[in-house]
Amino acid sequence: MWCETDRGKRPRAPMRPGFRPYRPRPGPRVKPEGDGDRMRLMARTESAPAISTAQPGDFFQLLKPRVMSLVIFTAVTGLVVAGGDIDWISATIAILCIAVGAGAAGALNMALEGETDALMRRTRGRPVAAGRVNKNDAMTFGVVLSIFSVMLLGMTTNWLAGGLLLLTIVYYAGFYTLLLKRRTPQNIVIGGAAGAFPPVIGWAAATGHAPWQAWLLFLIIFLWTPPHSWALALYSAGDYAKAGIPMMPVARGARSTRLQILLYTLVFVPMAIAPGLTGLGGPIYLGVSILGGLGFLGLAIRLWRSRAGDQPDKAEAVGREAALYDVRAEAKPARNLFAFSILYLTALFAALLVERLTTLTGP
Amino acid sequence: MRRLTPEQLNARNKRSIAIAGVLVAFVVLVFAVTVLNLKRNIDARKDAIAAGQPVGYAQ
Repeated sequence: MWCETDRGKRPRAPMRPGFRPYRPRPGPRVKPEGDGDRMRLMARTESAPAISTAQPGDFFQLLKPRVMSLVIFTAVTGLVVAGGDIDWISATIAILCIAVGAGAAGALNMALEGETDALMRRTRGRPVAAGRVNKNDAMTFGVVLSIFSVMLLGMTTNWLAGGLLLLTIVYYAGFYTLLLKRRTPQNIVIGGAAGAFPPVIGWAAATGHAPWQAWLLFLIIFLWTPPHSWALALYSAGDYAKAGIPMMPVARGARSTRLQILLYTLVFVPMAIAPGLTGLGGPIYLGVSILGGLGFLGLAIRLWRSRAGDQPDKAEAVGREAALYDVRAEAKPARNLFAFSILYLTALFAALLVERLTTLTGP
Repeated sequence: MRRLTPEQLNARNKRSIAIAGVLVAFVVLVFAVTVLNLKRNIDARKDAIAAGQPVGYAQ
């Protein structure tokens, strides 16, 4: 039986070298000796009541509302910057469909990752991981929302947008969650494409096309994802190791991760400035992208020279819930880059949006 | 027959209300999309007639 004292005695998951990612296998479940959290989840699943006590709010949480807000923001930017002749009702429905489609992908991810989420402090409060929502209910919820969002987007705007939304859902829930996440430390690099599609879908919804300018916005988010995710992973690596996910700091170590963050930043910042030089963005965008890019680069260099991630993260050391921003002093450069990366991406898209709206409402 | 606990009943009622709300919203959305598509097609037909193009059925 699982008991409180097991927590302190359980050996840490193997780190590099010889790191072996956890892969769930089909067939009857076998209780691993001493794997307390997994046993606790299984016991909860087995004793779950036939009649659910899940609240509507739990189903809303399945949609990953925080991720959805960023998806909405970038999709709106793509839709507005595209400058098509879409009416406001269709535009609103398109954004709603993109948001719900992204949420459906999140629900499928949570349904498939319930066991792994239960092992990580950051994610164990999620509805499926905490046992509030049944895995099959979450799966059904995700599939139904996926079908309706794709169909409605296709009927309202065009089938290029609908197809891209379907591709995003399949890419995230199928390709990233089932295949990539546990197999390669490059998971977040390749999987980051799923988060980069919304502005392209927004652009396609407005115009029926996806020109190179839309793919430039895609590339910005795609190249932003690795430094952003790895900065967070540097100070929550213990959780990923426990769950058997080969995130870069777990599989290759903190030093290699800090270097790779810097290398990706060197590619990302010029890409972020590119819209300002190609006519997609104006002077406001150019200013924001250059100033913010220099800040991003400075923080990445500071992180590269730091010892962030060399020690277990603070939450793990003191055995409490993980916090996004309360970290060890050595890990602060990673935390700072993580926080600034969100600010920078938001500022880039906000600048594009403001410039375009100013043009539309101007004389 | 299985008797539900107050907690289960309460949760089920809330879920039922939420599903009803979402269904109503979905019906309104589909209606709006249908009207929009009708309007687009009527406008396209008018433009085609104005440009002297055949529209495929009685004008």
